Amino acid sequence: LKLARIILLNLLVWPAVGIVLWGPRAQTAPVDNRIVVDYWEKWTGDEAIQMQTIVDSFNQTVGAQKGIYVRFVSTSNINQKVLVAAAAGVPPDIAGMTGAELASFAAQGALEPLDDLAAEPGHRITADLYKKVYWDGCHFDRHLYALVSTPMSLALIYHRELFQQNGAALRAAGLDPNRAPATIAELDAYSRALTVTDPDGTIVRTGYLPTDEIGWFPTQISLWFGGKVWDDKTKKVTLTDPGVVRAYEWVASYSKRLGVENVERFASGEGTFDSPANPFMTGSIAMVKQGPWISNFIEHLKPEMTHLLWSRQEELTKPPQDRKQNYAWAAAPFPSAVPGMNDVTYCGFDTLVIPKGARHKEAAFEFIAYVNRQDVMERLCKLHCKNSPLANVSDDFLNNHPNPYIDVFEKLARSPNASGPVQIPISGQMTNELNALFDEVSKLEVEPRVGLQAAQERLQADYDHYLDIQRARTAQ
Amino acid sequence: VNSSRRNFVKGIGFLSPWMVGFALFTAVPAGMSLYYSFCDYSILQPPLFRGMENYREMTHDAVFWKTLVNTFEYAAMALPLGLVASLGVALLLNRGIRGLGIYRTMVFLPSLVPLAASAMIWLWIFNGQYGLLNAILRPMLRMGIVRSIVGAQNPPTWLASTTWAMPALVLMSLWGIGYTVVIFLAALQDVPVELYEAAELDGAGPARRIWHVTLPSISPVIFFNLIMGIIGTMQVFAIPYIMTQGGPAQSTYFLAMYTFDSAFNFMRMGYASALAWVQLVIVLLLTTIAFVGGNRLVHYRTR
Repeated sequence: LKLARIILLNLLVWPAVGIVLWGPRAQTAPVDNRIVVDYWEKWTGDEAIQMQTIVDSFNQTVGAQKGIYVRFVSTSNINQKVLVAAAAGVPPDIAGMTGAELASFAAQGALEPLDDLAAEPGHRITADLYKKVYWDGCHFDRHLYALVSTPMSLALIYHRELFQQNGAALRAAGLDPNRAPATIAELDAYSRALTVTDPDGTIVRTGYLPTDEIGWFPTQISLWFGGKVWDDKTKKVTLTDPGVVRAYEWVASYSKRLGVENVERFASGEGTFDSPANPFMTGSIAMVKQGPWISNFIEHLKPEMTHLLWSRQEELTKPPQDRKQNYAWAAAPFPSAVPGMNDVTYCGFDTLVIPKGARHKEAAFEFIAYVNRQDVMERLCKLHCKNSPLANVSDDFLNNHPNPYIDVFEKLARSPNASGPVQIPISGQMTNELNALFDEVSKLEVEPRVGLQAAQERLQADYDHYLDIQRARTAQ
Repeated sequence: VNSSRRNFVKGIGFLSPWMVGFALFTAVPAGMSLYYSFCDYSILQPPLFRGMENYREMTHDAVFWKTLVNTFEYAAMALPLGLVASLGVALLLNRGIRGLGIYRTMVFLPSLVPLAASAMIWLWIFNGQYGLLNAILRPMLRMGIVRSIVGAQNPPTWLASTTWAMPALVLMSLWGIGYTVVIFLAALQDVPVELYEAAELDGAGPARRIWHVTLPSISPVIFFNLIMGIIGTMQVFAIPYIMTQGGPAQSTYFLAMYTFDSAFNFMRMGYASALAWVQLVIVLLLTTIAFVGGNRLVHYRTR
């Protein structure tokens, strides 16, 4: 028995000692004595792999010259991880966060202001290099806290083929099947004409459905109605702004027309965005509000909707306008409800930031500046199938972009009616409130104006509380 | 004396990894969270002492009350249902039928499925359009009688509906009764056979035997499962976090989720700590009530 015990002990102890001494190690620095910059990125899957290629080319070129090595880590839930790492005093040197959370992190002093680094003679990164909406969006409290990694603008994506197939119905309603709706009233009319329901109310197909875009939609929806949810001058939450109220009333109008339960049933039958059962791709929704990446998803998930006339190789030899005929879908500005207010869009974006306490600020900024170089940015945005945040865009980018409608998204991003994320320190609370309210309104459980009024009071209290704390801190 | 002292030192030695772990990762953080609950603390800036401010804020925080009510609602449905279901299943499994081992395995198996994986399965079961559950319910509702009793033409949309999302989560909670069933089974097998024989001699039928023999005999275990159930249901978090994210319209937004959001999404660790302490106090209160009320009903066998 004693022998057995000794054998067992040896079997357990020696492998353990071995693992500790010679076991696997975290990825180590490269051969030479380069500065290692840790870069955490929220993208996973293809987007992470594509960003890795940009990191690799930096490490081989600029990084090699300047003695910098970027160590790329793709991780989910990046906000929470950066938050905890920053609190522990060991943040990454670069974090890839979304633009919408910039203010909440910057307001807590968690981000390094980038004004001085950007202005350095070696970089000279200035406002005129960017489309205004993205440059402004990278600021909080008059300081630059981020640069863009990839941006987006939102457009109306419509099923061109479905429009053609239902030409008679559209014409009967006085609508042109060869173009996109130009006003919200027209969008509603197209939607009605394209909607098919069973006698018991079951929706077989709908032209459009506001609830289809839930997730990031609730805070932006009022833009197309001329409404803003936050007034940065007065620092007031403005959910009772007439434009915001109209937007939510419009959402409710769809539920009233189609029936709450029918909409719920239809929506729960929909596949997720990144699956072949995506309702736009199955043809059960004819129009959606989406970003430029949808082209990539259609290409992979529903190839039948692409390359109607030519192969991809052949298509790229055609003039940009002709390329569009090769697709069963098309893009146009999402119509606005305000007469004369054209090219309204929401421009969200992903950012690269330097968390406070990062050890290699200058080296980190070298990489951020590299990503914002026109050639590198265009390469990344083409890989991710997005528009460019930069003011200058090359012909190659426009002509050879995987999305044949990239000109539409570019034009929208340049529009004076383009808006970025609301940069307030309580953005988390605002998203939470508006998501819940959007649900309630679309299920007709609350009058839009009443719900908005209540949410406004709660959010204003949250913001005032934030101000109180700031004041108490400065008084200390 | 010397040897008992040596034993004590040895005992402490063996316990020390746990004690150090408990102190470092549980006791100290718990103590710190109590302090933070009196502070405004964003994690990123040093805590700012605010006295009872967080607790005061809670009293007029509509979201807090909503999540509290939701949590109680869930507990009130899931706890009794879970206890009755697992006791029922345990009673069935306690009979000498053929292939019992297989049935017992089947009942326990779902408890081994990782939470996230079972959430994905149930998302599909509850799908309003193509879900398995509605595929069963729909033909039933086509029958005139059923429809006139239920008064609905279509089955509910479950997780998409503010009315049905909560019952759906309660239904799903039954999926994990395996552990409770195992504990009940162990208790049932511990009930002295003499008692059943005596009851039978006295002319007690199966129902009376359960009521007068089984239930009193296993009452300490029922009580144990009740306490564990109170603690578990009051802390419900992972499943709704994955399946509904609190929606639709916050109808499945629970206290633990609000605590998490406050800490990590709203950067209000101080307020989140206060929420967590309130939750602890509620669980303590409910457990105390259960102990006081349960004392009369629980029979501990004297040996």
